[in-house]
Amino acid sequence: MNDIITTACKFVTSSIGRKILVALTGACLLLFLVGHLAGNMTIFGGSTWINNYATGLHAMPAWMLMAIRLGLLAILLIHVVLTLVLKLENVNARTHYQKEGTLKATLASRTMVLTGVMIFCFLLFHLWQLTVNGDPHDCYNHIVAAFSNPWCSVFYIVAICCLFMHVRHGLQSVFQTLGLSTRKVRPLYNIVAILFGLVVCGAFISIPVCVMLGIIK
Amino acid sequence: MANLNLTLKVWRQENAQAQGRIETYKAKNIPDEASFLEMLDIVNEELVHEGKEPIVFDHDCREGICGMCSLTINGVPHGGKKVTTCQLHMRQFKDGDTIWIEPFRAQAFPLLRDLMVDRTALDNIIAAGGFVDIRTGSAPNANNMPVRKKTADAAFDAAACVGCGACVASCKNSSAMLFTSAKAAHLNLLPQGQPEKNKRVLAMVRQMDAMGFGNCTNQYECEAACPKGISVDNIAKLNRDYMIACAAEAVGVFS
Repeated sequence: MNDIITTACKFVTSSIGRKILVALTGACLLLFLVGHLAGNMTIFGGSTWINNYATGLHAMPAWMLMAIRLGLLAILLIHVVLTLVLKLENVNARTHYQKEGTLKATLASRTMVLTGVMIFCFLLFHLWQLTVNGDPHDCYNHIVAAFSNPWCSVFYIVAICCLFMHVRHGLQSVFQTLGLSTRKVRPLYNIVAILFGLVVCGAFISIPVCVMLGIIK
Repeated sequence: MANLNLTLKVWRQENAQAQGRIETYKAKNIPDEASFLEMLDIVNEELVHEGKEPIVFDHDCREGICGMCSLTINGVPHGGKKVTTCQLHMRQFKDGDTIWIEPFRAQAFPLLRDLMVDRTALDNIIAAGGFVDIRTGSAPNANNMPVRKKTADAAFDAAACVGCGACVASCKNSSAMLFTSAKAAHLNLLPQGQPEKNKRVLAMVRQMDAMGFGNCTNQYECEAACPKGISVDNIAKLNRDYMIACAAEAVGVFS
């Protein structure tokens, strides 16, 4: 038992161990995105669809809803805290060049913390706007009212673009960190990451865009 | 044959404590068949003639196999042409170019003087586990110890690492993952490396963390800068091996 605890402690303080935790929590968050998106897409079926979906979610036992929320919160906090600690170490490990050069690091990979912080701020606003102040029985009108404000829509679109950047590097990074990558499949993961980002983020963005264009009203 | 006239922006620093600065030098009449280090030799001869301190830089074999030469050229270790600095030739540059020359920078590589840094941290990672304890004898007879062709190739490719530290110097996080993973992989892939595989992986990764290197963020700058073409496949393998080794240690498969 002692060995297990000692190794576990060493694992969660090592560079690779923490990266694996970030990758696993990131993968969970990616799966959450897919589920969230699938639910959101019911808005295109009309007000009954999404209102039924929202009330259906809230119809589950209170303890289960709370457990899911706390689980997601824990996953998010592990992801955010560990990445910030790793980033801090990375900044301290480096001394800067007078003339900086970059060979192949993507813009997305170099702005992960920036896009991550943007997404976190967006998430707080999003939860405040549509979860804390939301009403599952009248979800449809609440969303339409929110996105009728162009500033709100633009903020959502910018945040989702940040999400695209984050996911675009994050998804292929998960495979590398978990040791599932080789030179044969790495370009494929890259394409999968870009396509996943485009589809998911494009679909999320379609909602405020459709509200502004009057397609959803 | 055209000779080149260049402007050099060189990092000068008397010692580890001194404040470093960029100084500008003219490199005149450089033959384009000279290597980058030979170009610096020419500049240094001129500096000595003028009674100034020559630029200090690391070098040894000058044939691309020892890993001693360093230099970050225009922000990229070894200049990014997939060769070591000693094998980088001046024909890669154009007349009138301005070239920035800086040391391999990382907190784990303390600067000694000018362009010379102390890369002992990499040696410490090797000392922690980058070896085989058992006596492996002299070179075995061919086919005496069967190794899959693909595995042998992968081990050989990993073993091509000369330990120059360009991966660390190019990394945005100064991570030594490419070096450590290549050194672990070339032993972990082969039969002789199997008995100590888990022990080796844990020891090398823990030593790497202790030396103050950063954490890999999968940007693959290291692979692009590596003069020996070491693949980031080795990093994926190290991540995999580390998980297995931790699991083995936790349940006491080896002590």
